[in-house]
Amino acid sequence: MPEPSRIPDVTPSPEDIVRARKMLARKWAYLLQSAVAIPMSLDGLGEALSTRLDEICALLHAEPFTGDPAEQIGAGLAKLGYLGPIGLRRTTDVLGRGLFALPEFGQVERYAQRIALVIGALGSGFTEATSESVLTQQESMQKSLLKAVRDANWNLKESEARFNEVVTSSTNGVLIVDLEGRLLTTNAAVGDILGHTQEELVGVPLLDLIAPGFADMLSDAMADLVSGAAERIRQSQRMLRKDGEAARLSLTMSLLRGADDERSHFVVVVEDGTELELLQSELKRQSLHDVLTGLPNRQFFTTHLETVLRKADPEFGVTVFHLDLDAFGMVSNSVGGRVAERLLQHVAQRLRVVMAAEKAMIAKFDGDEFGVLVENTAATPTIGEIMKSINDDLLLEPTYVDGHGLAVSVSAGVVHRPSVEAEPVDVLRAADTALRRAKVRRRGQWEVFHPAQDVLDRRDHAVAVAMPAAWENGEITVRYRPIVQLANGEVSGVEAALHWDRPDAEVLDHDECAELAESTGLILPLGEWLLRVGAGQSAWWRQRGQFDRSLVVRLTAHQATDADLVSRVVGVLDETGLTVEQLAVSMPASVLLVTDAADNLGTLADMGVHMGLDDFGLGPLDPAAVSDLPVRSVRVARSLVDRRSPYVTALLPLLSGSGVTVAVDGIRSAEQASWWLAAGADFATGEHFGAAGTPTEFLKRLEKR
Amino acid sequence: MADEQNWVPQSVDVSVPSAARLYDYMLGGAHNFAVDRLMGDKMEAAMPHARSAARVNRAFLGRAVRFMVAQGVRQFLDIGSGIPTVANVHEVAQAEAPDCRVVYVDRDPVAVAHSELILAGNDSVRVLQADLRDPDSILNSPQAHLLDFDQPIGLLMLLMLHWVPTEDDPWGLLKHYREALPSGSYLAITHFADDHDYEGVKVAAERMNKAGGDQVVERSRDEIAAFFGEFELAEPGLVTFAEWRPSGPGDISSDPAINRLAYAGVGRKP
Repeated sequence: MPEPSRIPDVTPSPEDIVRARKMLARKWAYLLQSAVAIPMSLDGLGEALSTRLDEICALLHAEPFTGDPAEQIGAGLAKLGYLGPIGLRRTTDVLGRGLFALPEFGQVERYAQRIALVIGALGSGFTEATSESVLTQQESMQKSLLKAVRDANWNLKESEARFNEVVTSSTNGVLIVDLEGRLLTTNAAVGDILGHTQEELVGVPLLDLIAPGFADMLSDAMADLVSGAAERIRQSQRMLRKDGEAARLSLTMSLLRGADDERSHFVVVVEDGTELELLQSELKRQSLHDVLTGLPNRQFFTTHLETVLRKADPEFGVTVFHLDLDAFGMVSNSVGGRVAERLLQHVAQRLRVVMAAEKAMIAKFDGDEFGVLVENTAATPTIGEIMKSINDDLLLEPTYVDGHGLAVSVSAGVVHRPSVEAEPVDVLRAADTALRRAKVRRRGQWEVFHPAQDVLDRRDHAVAVAMPAAWENGEITVRYRPIVQLANGEVSGVEAALHWDRPDAEVLDHDECAELAESTGLILPLGEWLLRVGAGQSAWWRQRGQFDRSLVVRLTAHQATDADLVSRVVGVLDETGLTVEQLAVSMPASVLLVTDAADNLGTLADMGVHMGLDDFGLGPLDPAAVSDLPVRSVRVARSLVDRRSPYVTALLPLLSGSGVTVAVDGIRSAEQASWWLAAGADFATGEHFGAAGTPTEFLKRLEKR
Repeated sequence: MADEQNWVPQSVDVSVPSAARLYDYMLGGAHNFAVDRLMGDKMEAAMPHARSAARVNRAFLGRAVRFMVAQGVRQFLDIGSGIPTVANVHEVAQAEAPDCRVVYVDRDPVAVAHSELILAGNDSVRVLQADLRDPDSILNSPQAHLLDFDQPIGLLMLLMLHWVPTEDDPWGLLKHYREALPSGSYLAITHFADDHDYEGVKVAAERMNKAGGDQVVERSRDEIAAFFGEFELAEPGLVTFAEWRPSGPGDISSDPAINRLAYAGVGRKP
């Protein structure tokens, strides 16, 4: 097709001219943005360039002609961002070709020279502005460098001045010791304690000032500081006075690092401990310690917690562990009290070893409970790491008493970084609450205290403890709800659900019942009962030819990891006569990270049970779990169903490609149902298809369809 | 203590390249020193489109900030902000909503000094020299008082976390940051991926690591996803930095391998 601009004697309309310029400006913007960093949207840049293009065109038309003003336009371009040589190249390319093609410059010969001159001037203005900008940027970098050096040196001087002030005015002795262990500086207080003048001490090896028999302990500690094994050490020490007497002192030592993190000096703080003080502390020790283990008792722990809470390093805070031996009652009953006592001593000793690197107090509470208070530092391991090392240590290093090899695990309630204003009693109560929650789960578990959880817990707790009795009294029943095939509306299965009709209180549905029972551990027997009743009902319907589709039962995390799950399922199938092909069981996707759950899933699938995942789509690993495990269906998490999550819909083709069916729960309307059908879901449950009802209600609704 | 030395602190050593200045150079800026440019040229020799990676990341910054502003966020904490040159957070945010406040954090003292010079007089922007690995020194700094921790905050860590070695537990650090933010806050991350198919990057990363300055650690998508913790990822989730809501030619590179160099995501605290 011939370009209209090339056809002579056709005068372009004003609209054509405007449109052609807009297109050229847009192309120019596109090419620049795909090459260099410009802080503007494509449209914004298009408009900015459009203005400049109009200016260029005006120049080209002007009589008499001069290209000089294009230098200004070029300089303006350079300021749009970091265009640089690449930006200039793209600009000259696009203008060089594009200007010729504009309808208003159709008579090429007349404008060719002008266009070349204008682009040349534009380029020279651009280049000049760019180099000017580079110089400005470089100059400001030099200034920044100067400023940075000055700031750093100023900070250094200021911190040295502060340090000197602290040292001079301290009533404790302060010694600065070089890395070879020689004294560099001391303060006046050291002179008072040791009887030497400050000058006499310069250059003296620190270990020469330590009483015989005590130096090794100190030099070991110094080695730990240098190796980084300890941040700070504190020892009871004996230092030699000028008169030869040994002074009892408490000595705190740390390693100073320079700005470049190189080890620079030791700082030693010396506190004078008098005989009286030591005697007092011995008395205190006896009344505040547990006789069996020699550890601080609960009272001491509480007092110490109060002090430490207030003065702990605010950056890291403290962490309180309330530990409880798993199955201690069993040990005590089966092997006797003396062995149990020996076990407690063993645990106390191992805890000391495990926590040796931390500034921590380990206390013995009542019975088989221990408390650990850690003053955190940057080097403190995480709660998970600490719990793992405690449990690894206890399980891997059994103690032998009268021929019994005893290996125990501990569970813990943890309060991490309580507020400095917290009352110690509240902190300990919180740790205890968290411990009880951890014990609900399996052995060797730990749980961190969450304030919001606590309020909920206390309310739910009352309901949860009433649950076993309610079950006994028949308040809890099994209900049935249809699982519907979205494509044709057919009921393709039935799901068994818990239903608690509480007298004088609101009814609790399956999810609420399951969650409460999960928190107390009741879910194991209750869930098995649900499975048995549901399977019995399903078998009954089959026999009478009323309903012969699959029975679906959802498991909780606790059930999914239950070591007896497989035998429970086998037992129920035997009892009720339901076959494996008629049963579908689903687990929460999140629980598959636990090996036991994945094992259970694999075993049941091998037996022929249809295995599904619930709450699919919340975890990043869920898609991987589906492809790695013998999963035949997934149920999308309800929150994602409500949100119509594009993330999930994007996954659906992959799932169906690998033969996994997709169900959506919580469907409330026909519109929602058809949306999910279009998105690729196969099955659905929810109010729209009928709430859970009694067996009779379920059949009635089935007939109505 | 008494030994007086006339030293320039190592933190202001311009004989090793700095990430902040190198990034500026790759964007086309001149806020850099010879050693940074030398490194940039070496990287470009190893990865021919290295510069477009810097541009694509910068473009993601713009989209992430505009997205957060559209969600109602009016305050930003940009850790690893580098040199505040073209299209920086406060420029983008304040163009959308003039009442936006920004705190820039970088550990490079030159970048910080430079930011202070450039931003002097802008009352709604503060600059802090601190290390990401010391969250409390950032969160409790006088500069951070510009931000109201009861209102949503947009936290940005762009091409930043791969400078944090695994032994410093970046996940633990991120948890700390996430906990400090109020509900409704956002976290944006871009991070070099370990599953891209661009051999040149390995070479470039090795050269960078050998030069003795900041060190690069590439991470897997799952490892990067874990930085978001309980935060809910905005659509389209954790994707490559070019795939996160691209809207124009400036948002992607013509070299597909560059587009897959880094993962990007924006998460919201529930």
